[in-house]
Amino acid sequence: MPEFKSSEPLTLGVELELQLVNTRDYNLTRGASDLLAAVAKAKHPGEIKPEITESMIEICTSVCTGHAQVRAELDAIRKIVADAAAKLNLGVAGGGTHPFQKWSERRIYDTPRFKRVSELYGYLAKQFTVFGQHIHVGVPSGDEAVRLTHGLARYMPHFIALSASSPFSLGTDTQFDSSRLNVVNAFPLAGFMPFVRDWQEFGVYFEQMSGFGIVESMKDFYWDIRPKPEYGTIEIRVCDTPLAVARAADLAAYAQVLAANLREDPGWSPHPDLYLVYSYNRFQACRFGFGAMIVDPVTHQHIPLGDEIIATLTRCQARAEQLGGGEALTSLLKAAAARTNDAQALREVLEKRGSLADVVRSACEAWMGS
Amino acid sequence: MDDLAFLPYWPLLGNQMVWVGVLLVAGLLGGELVHRLLRLPRITGYAAAGLALGPGGLELIGRPLLDELTVFADLALGLVLFELGQRLDIAWLRRSPALLVMGVAEALLAGVLVFLVLNYYFGHAPLVAAVAGAIAMSTSPAVLIRVAADLRAEGQVTERALLLTAINGVIAFLALTVLIPWLHLEYRGGWLTMLAQPLYLLGGSLVLAFAASQATLQLARMIGQDPGRQFIAVIAMVVLTVGIAVALKLSVLLTLLAMGVLVRNADRERHFIVIDSGDAGQLFYVILFVITGARLDPGLLATAGAAGLAFVLVRFAGKVLGVFAFAPLVGLKLRHAGLLALALLPMSGLAVVLVHETASLYPEIRASVAPVVLAAVVMLELFGPIATQFAIRRAGEAGTEA
Repeated sequence: MPEFKSSEPLTLGVELELQLVNTRDYNLTRGASDLLAAVAKAKHPGEIKPEITESMIEICTSVCTGHAQVRAELDAIRKIVADAAAKLNLGVAGGGTHPFQKWSERRIYDTPRFKRVSELYGYLAKQFTVFGQHIHVGVPSGDEAVRLTHGLARYMPHFIALSASSPFSLGTDTQFDSSRLNVVNAFPLAGFMPFVRDWQEFGVYFEQMSGFGIVESMKDFYWDIRPKPEYGTIEIRVCDTPLAVARAADLAAYAQVLAANLREDPGWSPHPDLYLVYSYNRFQACRFGFGAMIVDPVTHQHIPLGDEIIATLTRCQARAEQLGGGEALTSLLKAAAARTNDAQALREVLEKRGSLADVVRSACEAWMGS
Repeated sequence: MDDLAFLPYWPLLGNQMVWVGVLLVAGLLGGELVHRLLRLPRITGYAAAGLALGPGGLELIGRPLLDELTVFADLALGLVLFELGQRLDIAWLRRSPALLVMGVAEALLAGVLVFLVLNYYFGHAPLVAAVAGAIAMSTSPAVLIRVAADLRAEGQVTERALLLTAINGVIAFLALTVLIPWLHLEYRGGWLTMLAQPLYLLGGSLVLAFAASQATLQLARMIGQDPGRQFIAVIAMVVLTVGIAVALKLSVLLTLLAMGVLVRNADRERHFIVIDSGDAGQLFYVILFVITGARLDPGLLATAGAAGLAFVLVRFAGKVLGVFAFAPLVGLKLRHAGLLALALLPMSGLAVVLVHETASLYPEIRASVAPVVLAAVVMLELFGPIATQFAIRRAGEAGTEA
């Protein structure tokens, strides 16, 4: 069990997994090594890294104080990646899935860890060519990480609906706004953290699991939201990579203000029934986006997710202004009020253009800018 | 005896269909054989089967039949050039102009070096040496496309090799178009022809290509985005365009290449699905390589082997120089530059057609540089695809092989 490394509360970090496509038929293409070599010398904040397949790269910010810095860093990295990709004739796009890739054609990136993952998970590793956004929020202690993990769990449907950008998979409309999370579900340790009360209890659980020989490190838990002791953060992993970096930064600001509210409410403790409704709500959000009907574990009420998101954003607005995320919440509020997310935008492109290749092309334009 | 008149006569009357079938089956089997036993590209096997059955081998397929089959090879080559044209992504060249410079440089250097060697060292007349140089500029598009497809190759070396092949094809055609009237002047006289012919060839081919590309896009718009139907549309339009180009005495090759470029780059609304020479398209590659193989004459290695070898070597040297000179500008590592130059080695059906086309207009070619170029093709028919396959594998761009 690793030590929980304390970090500055409410600091932010964002990781985005991005798809690399060719500009002929807009299928996923092998380009990560070439693209990484092309950006190797460029100066930029954060990092640009390889991911599990050659058709994916990951970009991440450094540790940021708030929305403005996240946005600025993501923009700076985006520009460098987009310029290099344009020279290599590669397309870079957000979106939680590639609409029509055949996973059997993907090749696993050539490093020992990825090779091991690929051997263990077989076809899952290739099917796992899905693209997510991870949001890190800094916490000072393991106890607080456990508390925040439980506290933010009930908001996961919000993040799913606001980020959903994977309506298509393997060439068809899945009817889900986020089909990506269905793929994540296939992993044995997907889902949510067990109902532990503090870091010490978490340590006991971890030792048990590692005693079974099931896990070696935190990396083996594919939970939607998990403590990340090495970074001193909690990590939200439910988001699809949005089509544009602006939305990614907005979501980070939303996570920050929710975490702030929880920290500043010492009386709050997780309701024991929280996780009874968790998977149901998560499914609703993936399937219907803003149109989901979610269940409140405390009141047992069924609430339209869109309404709940609007209410929560409105409630958080004032605190967000203090944290520098007012603008971000306003833009999320606008999207929620109009009930528009990236999944819907992609479906509209398909309706208008009639081809999934055009859907990917428009996603590239949205991410790279033109 | 008349009662048995329904039985076939012996020997069987020449039914060409049978021999076309035999050629295709042999090609297919040859391809699988070299692929499975030797891990060589299948196209090498297609060509070897053609060579074995053709006039240069067992002579089961005679010259007259081969001449009649030329129309299939021309159609197949037309399709290949159309596909190649679609690889010439003008938007990419605009973003990365150094690639265009590299393409022009490697083509010109290869051509000039071949010209110099044939002219100064082997004593060929300047004009015919220049024709050989122009042909030397081009890389075999069919080999590049097919080897890349067989390897499921993706990556910067592969993409750039295909792009450079498209560029050097354009340059080779332009050079030949300019040279043909000079040949005319040299051997027939007539200033009017000399000025008017290249203008007609160039202008006419481009106008036809433009019209054909617009018609193809219109057709694609009407039939919708169904790959099967769009493939038929492509075949239909290519056959039609080849026919019109022949009737108008335009350059079939230039027209089809330009048509591909225009279809790809003028299709702003994306009505046209990119045709990867999928399952049906492969048939045309088999036809092309089998027939090209059957047309090869290994005897040339004895008579023109030395000049042919020199041709191959200096052409390669030119491509290496051109690629390396501009590698830093296009952000290419030296190792990848070397592999890229190697991938550009193949010469095949396109060169054969170019030799025969020029020779049919100016028979002087036949006695001078044609044997040299064709001897080079004999060598590269074997080594070209292997070089390309090696380069792509070494660059780490081969996927799971089909």
